[in-house]
Amino acid sequence: MNESIVIADLLPILAPIIVIQLIIMTIALVLCAKAESTRGPKWVWVLIIIFINIFGPIAFFIAGRRNEG
Amino acid sequence: MTALLEVKDLTKAFGTVKAVDGIHFTIAEGHCVALLGPNGAGKTTTIRMIAGLLKQTSGQMVFKGAGNRGEHRELIGYLPQTPSFHNWMTGFEFVVYAGQLCGLTSAEAKKSAKELVERVGIAGAAKRRIGSYSGGMKQRLGLAQALVHRPKLLVMDEPVSALDPIGRREVLDLLRELKRETTVLFSTHVLHDAEALCDDVIIIREGKVALQGAIETIRDERRKPIINLQLENDESSRQWLALFIQTIRDEKRLANQLSLFETAEQHEGAASFAVKDVDAARQLLIGEMARNQIKISKLEVGHSSLEDLFMKVVGE
Amino acid sequence: MKGAANTSNKLDPTSFMTSSFIRYLVMVQKELLEQARSYKLLWVPLVFVLLGIMQPVSTYYMPVILEHAGSLPEGTVIDIPMPLGAEVLAQTLQQFGTLGMLVLVLACMGTVSGERLSGVSAIILVKPISASAYISSKWTSMLLLAWGSLAAGYLASWYYTGLLIGETPIVQAYESMLVYGLWLSAVMTITLLFSTWLRSSAAAAFAALGGALMLTLLASLFPKQLGWTPGALSGFAYQLAAAGTPDSSTLSAAVVVTIVCMLGSISLAALQLRKSLAAE
Repeated sequence: MNESIVIADLLPILAPIIVIQLIIMTIALVLCAKAESTRGPKWVWVLIIIFINIFGPIAFFIAGRRNEG
Repeated sequence: MTALLEVKDLTKAFGTVKAVDGIHFTIAEGHCVALLGPNGAGKTTTIRMIAGLLKQTSGQMVFKGAGNRGEHRELIGYLPQTPSFHNWMTGFEFVVYAGQLCGLTSAEAKKSAKELVERVGIAGAAKRRIGSYSGGMKQRLGLAQALVHRPKLLVMDEPVSALDPIGRREVLDLLRELKRETTVLFSTHVLHDAEALCDDVIIIREGKVALQGAIETIRDERRKPIINLQLENDESSRQWLALFIQTIRDEKRLANQLSLFETAEQHEGAASFAVKDVDAARQLLIGEMARNQIKISKLEVGHSSLEDLFMKVVGE
Repeated sequence: MKGAANTSNKLDPTSFMTSSFIRYLVMVQKELLEQARSYKLLWVPLVFVLLGIMQPVSTYYMPVILEHAGSLPEGTVIDIPMPLGAEVLAQTLQQFGTLGMLVLVLACMGTVSGERLSGVSAIILVKPISASAYISSKWTSMLLLAWGSLAAGYLASWYYTGLLIGETPIVQAYESMLVYGLWLSAVMTITLLFSTWLRSSAAAAFAALGGALMLTLLASLFPKQLGWTPGALSGFAYQLAAAGTPDSSTLSAAVVVTIVCMLGSISLAALQLRKSLAAE
């Protein structure tokens, strides 16, 4: 009984967190798709970006791309 | 003719090795000058010092029209051997950026960039990211960014060496046009490129100037008449030729001023002679051969090429 | 050649200064464009905002989360005292100090070394620009990114803390942000210095993070002797956020020392750039 109230309370507060995570993930996925060459296979990066929360996209931004200078 | 750049005793030492050792030359305004030499002769080092990327160990460079701050970078447009760019920029953006760094206003830079991308033939790709450019396009973009502020002197390091034959031809054609408008200095190890484009040539070897001057003058002054001789490949002819060449060399060693021959070289049944007086030498040769009943297959009179000279100067 | 470009302003020193300043601005613009095109300008602040929101949210829901972890025996009463809003803000800053700083340093580690590795710097540095203008433009853009991210993240944290835990006066948050921003700026400056000095971007990031850690450690081990060093700034910022009142004279000494050190580092980086060009 107490659980349903909590989740209803939770949603508006957690929504921004989820939205931001989705934005970051989307940027990473778009960049990954557009990149000419990635360090390591692209599909691995896609999995990392999708399944490793936050740190996956960040790792991709920092180390994923080659020759983007 | 006024000197745009005077290089005096320029020296660059890396540790104890002198890559450039006291070179001295002048670049006249409006001329196209090739810095010619084999790999490792110190061409790139010289070019980089002139471009201001490398500080000389000693010596001076005097630019006509350089401000009192000794700032001559504004007068120079520089294209490295294999130029790299910000790959995330478009070609047009990079040329505009280069122009602004040289002190053009944004409007001036855009105008100049627009003309130049057109001029070097990358207008179609100007709005694309540089990351997608081919080697030839990058070289042309490199030219555009070097020319954007209308430099007095365009300095290039091996501008065509890294290109495939087609790219090479395109860039050479472009340079042929550009040299009418500005003074050009470029390094190359290919004599043919220097001959095709330049008024003056500076041949360097082991960090020193081996020979310099106008190509025409060098060609005329150093041009020597040459007689090429080809004999049939029989025993007696070969023996005679070997003997004859030996005689010439002996004369040479004794410093006989009357000798008609400067040098003689034998390659199997053929020989080439650098001579002082073509007619007399030819008479002598034919006479000797007739007396010994030598079987001539070919006798040819010509001149030494610049290539021969280059090989001689560089190879010595 | 027609249309002589820029030959008139060479002799006059004042116009030389302005033209040099304009070129610096052009380079800053280019750096910002690069940050935008690589989406750094978007994702780095977003990470800070995320960190900023997470702190108050996880504090608020900590009892609920624990309750639902399920391993507790029936009837256990969880009694975690709800912290003050100000304390949550201080914890946010600590988050910025670990993850946030890591992200910033890693995002900026290649700023000079990357350009030198790719060879672009050869084509840029032959232009009539000074090494210090080049370094300063990098520095400016890095600081803009750091301050922008910090402000966005901290504002988000302040808003959520007010909503969930308790209002904090914005002045208090603002002061702590200024001090903390100065610390981040110092770390960015160290990153820039190492990026100029070292060939490898990874080595630059490693050295910068190590340096930052060292400074903080030293200042926290010897608070009395080294309270005036840059490493003490983060501590002061936590104190300010948590409504403490740090010793203002030591704090101002630390601020001045940090600013002087940053200026010194920039000059050193410019000098290093000039020197390494001459030696190459």
